[in-house]
Amino acid sequence: MSALEYNGGSVIAMVGKDCVAIASDLRLGTQALGISSNFQRVFPMTDRLYVGLPGLGTDVTTLYERFRYRVNMYTIKEEREINPETFAHMVSSTLYQHRFGPYFIEPVVAGLSKSPTGALKPFIAAMDLIGCINFAKDFVVAGTASSKLYGVAEGLWEPDLEPEDLFETISQTLLNAVDRDAFSGWGAVVHVITKDRVISRTLKARMD
Amino acid sequence: METSFALTGKGYVIVAADTTAARSIVKMKDDQDKIKELGSHLLMAYSGEPGPSNAYIIMPTQPTDPLLSFYSGDTIQFAEYVERNIRLYQIRHLYPLRPSAAASWIRRSLAVSLRSRNAFTVNLLIGGYDLADHKPTLYWIDYLGTVVEVPFAAHGYGSYFALSLLDRYHNPDATLEEGLATLKRCINEVSKRLVVSPDRYKVKVVDKDGVREVEL
Amino acid sequence: MWGSQAGFGSLVKGVPSFVIPSVPDPAAFLRLHTDDHADPSCKIKIQHGTTTLAFRYQGGVIVAVDSRATAGSYVASGTVKKVIEINPYLLGTMAGGAADCQYWETYLGVHCRLHELRNRERISVSAASKYLSNLVYSYKGMGLSMGTMICGWDKTGPALFYVDSDGTRLKGNIFSVGSGSTFAYGVLDQEYRWDLPDEEAQELARRSIYAAGHRDAFSGNTCNLYQVKEDGWQFIGNYDITKLHYDGPGEAPGNGYGYDIRVEGQTSTDLPATAGQA
Repeated sequence: MSALEYNGGSVIAMVGKDCVAIASDLRLGTQALGISSNFQRVFPMTDRLYVGLPGLGTDVTTLYERFRYRVNMYTIKEEREINPETFAHMVSSTLYQHRFGPYFIEPVVAGLSKSPTGALKPFIAAMDLIGCINFAKDFVVAGTASSKLYGVAEGLWEPDLEPEDLFETISQTLLNAVDRDAFSGWGAVVHVITKDRVISRTLKARMD
Repeated sequence: METSFALTGKGYVIVAADTTAARSIVKMKDDQDKIKELGSHLLMAYSGEPGPSNAYIIMPTQPTDPLLSFYSGDTIQFAEYVERNIRLYQIRHLYPLRPSAAASWIRRSLAVSLRSRNAFTVNLLIGGYDLADHKPTLYWIDYLGTVVEVPFAAHGYGSYFALSLLDRYHNPDATLEEGLATLKRCINEVSKRLVVSPDRYKVKVVDKDGVREVEL
Repeated sequence: MWGSQAGFGSLVKGVPSFVIPSVPDPAAFLRLHTDDHADPSCKIKIQHGTTTLAFRYQGGVIVAVDSRATAGSYVASGTVKKVIEINPYLLGTMAGGAADCQYWETYLGVHCRLHELRNRERISVSAASKYLSNLVYSYKGMGLSMGTMICGWDKTGPALFYVDSDGTRLKGNIFSVGSGSTFAYGVLDQEYRWDLPDEEAQELARRSIYAAGHRDAFSGNTCNLYQVKEDGWQFIGNYDITKLHYDGPGEAPGNGYGYDIRVEGQTSTDLPATAGQA
């Protein structure tokens, strides 16, 4: 049993047409024993940027606090919001700083990034626990159900989904994948980030 | 085996911990108070990591002898460290930490300790009554520094019997008498089913009037 | 193939024989490749997680099980039949190695039938469970993994025995076996009495399996419920654990077993009367 699987939990992010979605389950357990069905592991960093932190529960909290602090400092010093690309590199370098005693987290970043012209472009990325970034154009997965998420996402995802269709796709992908994983599930939450608002919904999921 | 329970109710949190202090196969003491009063409205039950520690899986530097890792001096050392620091905060700032702030600070102490050479293997239940919003709050914290706010919680092998029972019988708006009756169910169930179960518990309550000990 | 030549036909030639790996210590060889606790990367993963329970009461024996099969963290199936219908009067439950339980309890059924033919009366639950116990005990150390309950009705009335592959055989009123058994006991012990009416006994069993399915990662999906009465066993029903969580067992919703469903609208916040008005 590795530290990455000790508490369970999974995150997925998907790209749509001028929007991105990030979703995760809500279970926190200690191995087979479920402790909480309301453990948030996806956090807003700015209005258009979310980070998902599947992995060891203690590091979810530690890293969230750390990123919140660093994003606040960045915003104050630079007098502007952080870009998803910049944030992803910040996450990556934070993880690599702990190369020889890592945080047991595989982060997922999802947001809309502002190009120099002012247009918003979907951005998603995933990392391993020491900060190797995987930029993707379609979807990224992480957590104990990652292998199952890959399978379902490969089957359901298609390019240029509108926000409501993207919501349906990511929800179905997550729900069906975590039902095949013993350590994920117990509720789910989805955020769809569009250019003018974020749609956040809690899903009715299997509770076993 | 060490066991502790806690549950919230209408305007209160009950925290219960067994009173045995054991070393190896010997029961050294049977009236040990393992619930610290961290402030006028804050309680903390502390216990060691049960059985052949899970810590071994995550932190390979942990002692591997199950009997050694069972009851190290960690629990009391850590509890007193927390107790003094929470007191220090109140002396310096005149106001005590609110339960959520206290839980955050305690969690961070454990999380920092986890990546040190000698990590504390202490599991905690923090029960507090927040005078600002009249909300009784309970935090489940394990030795890794994992924290969750829950309506009821347990640590130790007892949790494997008590959590399903609490899913069935716990009510957030139960009176203190009803809450204590539910606690008794948990204690009786653990005595009935757990092989080496504790026989005595200390029970403390925190509500708007502060902390106090109650007899079951 | 006809009659005893088919199926368990090897019976006519005496005890069945098994193909054994041609290594000096077959048991150690098998252990090396199946023990997924010591070695998570091992090739052969045997189904481990389960919740099964059975209890004896005034109206007979209630048997309830979950239906999840896991291999590591993968939920391999959610529709496993963990109650084995040995014959119309005997039920066996399945925990541990799925194949071991299925094979040996079916094999037990064959011998119960032979007993019937030879002695012109049905085998007692005690004798049947003893037969199984002796049988698996003879394979001790070879890696068999079973934790089973043999339930039935015989001349003595309702009967329940726990049999496992270590060779333990216990007679009792309440048993629960598997990774979720502690959670099931937590609910079951609270409301069990000998004189439970049938309806309440079934409800208690369902709730106990639900409790385990909810809390234990390796149990869940559905609950299969059986009852043994004087005239043999009867299948009561199959209940989706998530449906039990949100809606409860009946057709009418609003009776969900789930904690969040049950306590919806309740709060532990206790605002003083004056503060509420301020």
